[in-house]
Amino acid sequence: MIVAESLTKRYGAKTAVDDVSFEVHPGRVTGFLGPNGAGKSTTMRMILGLDRPSAGRVTVDGRAYRDLSAPMVQVGALIDAKALHGGRTARDHLVVLAKSNGIPLTRVDEVLDIVGLTSVAKKRSGGFSLGMGQRLGIAGALLGDPRVLLFDEPVNGLDPEGILWIRNLMKRLAGEGRTVFVSSHLMSEMALTADHLLVIGRGRILADTGVAQFIAENSVSHVKVRSPQADRLAELAAAAGWQVSRDPAGALLVQEVTTDQVGDLAGHNGVFLHELAKVEASLEEAFMRLTADSVEYHTGGTPPKTAAEAVPGWGPPTVADRIG
Amino acid sequence: MTTTAPAAPTALAPGARLTFGRILDSEWAKIKTVRSTVWTLLALFVVSVLISWGIAALAASDVAKDVAEGKKNDAPDLLTVGVAFGQIAALVLGVMSMTAEYSTGMIRTSLTAVPWRASMLAAKALVLALVLFVVGAITGFCCYFLANLMLDAKDVGIALGDPGVIRSLIGTGLYLAVLGLFGMALGVLLRHTAGAITLGIALIFVVGGVVGLIPGKTGDWIAKLMPANAGSQVMSVEAADKMFRPWPGFAVFAAETLILLLLGTLLLEKRDA
Repeated sequence: MIVAESLTKRYGAKTAVDDVSFEVHPGRVTGFLGPNGAGKSTTMRMILGLDRPSAGRVTVDGRAYRDLSAPMVQVGALIDAKALHGGRTARDHLVVLAKSNGIPLTRVDEVLDIVGLTSVAKKRSGGFSLGMGQRLGIAGALLGDPRVLLFDEPVNGLDPEGILWIRNLMKRLAGEGRTVFVSSHLMSEMALTADHLLVIGRGRILADTGVAQFIAENSVSHVKVRSPQADRLAELAAAAGWQVSRDPAGALLVQEVTTDQVGDLAGHNGVFLHELAKVEASLEEAFMRLTADSVEYHTGGTPPKTAAEAVPGWGPPTVADRIG
Repeated sequence: MTTTAPAAPTALAPGARLTFGRILDSEWAKIKTVRSTVWTLLALFVVSVLISWGIAALAASDVAKDVAEGKKNDAPDLLTVGVAFGQIAALVLGVMSMTAEYSTGMIRTSLTAVPWRASMLAAKALVLALVLFVVGAITGFCCYFLANLMLDAKDVGIALGDPGVIRSLIGTGLYLAVLGLFGMALGVLLRHTAGAITLGIALIFVVGGVVGLIPGKTGDWIAKLMPANAGSQVMSVEAADKMFRPWPGFAVFAAETLILLLLGTLLLEKRDA
């Protein structure tokens, strides 16, 4: 279990992680989700004792990382695919790590097999693709058969087969009762992998909740209606107490109703309909809504138009302004 | 978290944990599994031996003439003269042992596997010093044998048993070991290969010579205390004028290096990796 208490990291005037508290429990995959620059990697580095918190503390199974006596057996970490010496072979890289923690060298060949790098074990890692580098990093994380696993953006650079493999690996590790903490900036990836979500934006925790609950709470589905008598229909819907807005093309967007209800209302009042559809907000939209809201809430002043503007480095400016 | 966790993973190996011996073993595996170590040590050996041999061959006649005329016998200074050039390789190996961790990104993995940073640095230092001492002493003896072959041909050879000779050859290993540590300390302080190598070479080749120009007693003392000036006396059969005696000089160099290493340890513990 990982416990962060009021964890804060400042770089000069910039606060990368701002008074963050959370717990990561064993037996499930906890997704650490946030746009680039939200503080995910900084938080992970503090968990691993690489960066010193400016304030607060973080422990793994009750102890600060730097006080662990068998770090690789207690925690396995994939920091990034480039955290290795390219001049060393894959096997030698793992041997160096195994020796420091007294892990038997037979385990090196086991993990090479698990990640599928046995055939290139004697090759220098400098020539590896990003995906192979990730696999080698994962092999290093698994070396000590640890109870707690941290993966920072593990799917980066992996091909579809590799992505499927890492998803299943993380689920299996969690199923074995281990603590699995995985960061990503891809909501869709987290929806497929994680059981629990920790959402971070601008260094603050925005949500700490189950994946299903997160979707239910944060996504809003609505009914889209096109009608030649849109104004009349809008009046009727408002009279029924529904919340109505219009998209740029002039279609009505009715919140928290079913298509049946809208169709019945139109039929009873003789209004023609050209289109009637239920629009489900995706997880991606839910996430953008959340980060956009948080930015508005924290910065005040003029609310940013889209999540993409509000959060630097975040995805395409699409649905957020239509919904929000 | 004790009773409810399903199928708690079994401990891989009950004895798996950090010890200083294991960290040492790991650092030994690190230094021997990169090709640059072999190339650097080979450069150290080849450059030192070839230059010592070449200069002895060229200078032997002049030395014989000087001795015949009753002038000062320069032969002892020629035995390991090539190490003055080969030493750059020892400095580079020391610097790289630390800066390569930073330039490759390996430092993050290293410190995750071994979060006891001071222990890791100490292990790294021990391995480096041992490797350089052994290779340095072998280099010293090879320099002696080849150079002395040339001097013997003109009857100005120096016997291995002559006073100070064995000490100077073992001293070559000692000096190069501490020079490597000196480079390693610069590497941990600057965390940048080119910067640390430049500073190291400047301190050894440039500043060490230039401070000799400062007049008076102050200048003499500053020149004496410069790292390479102090440390290299242990490599010479007879200590140079105005310099420390061999062992005190080496002690000064070792102390200066130790101070830099301790400073480096403090910074390594304190700084974000």
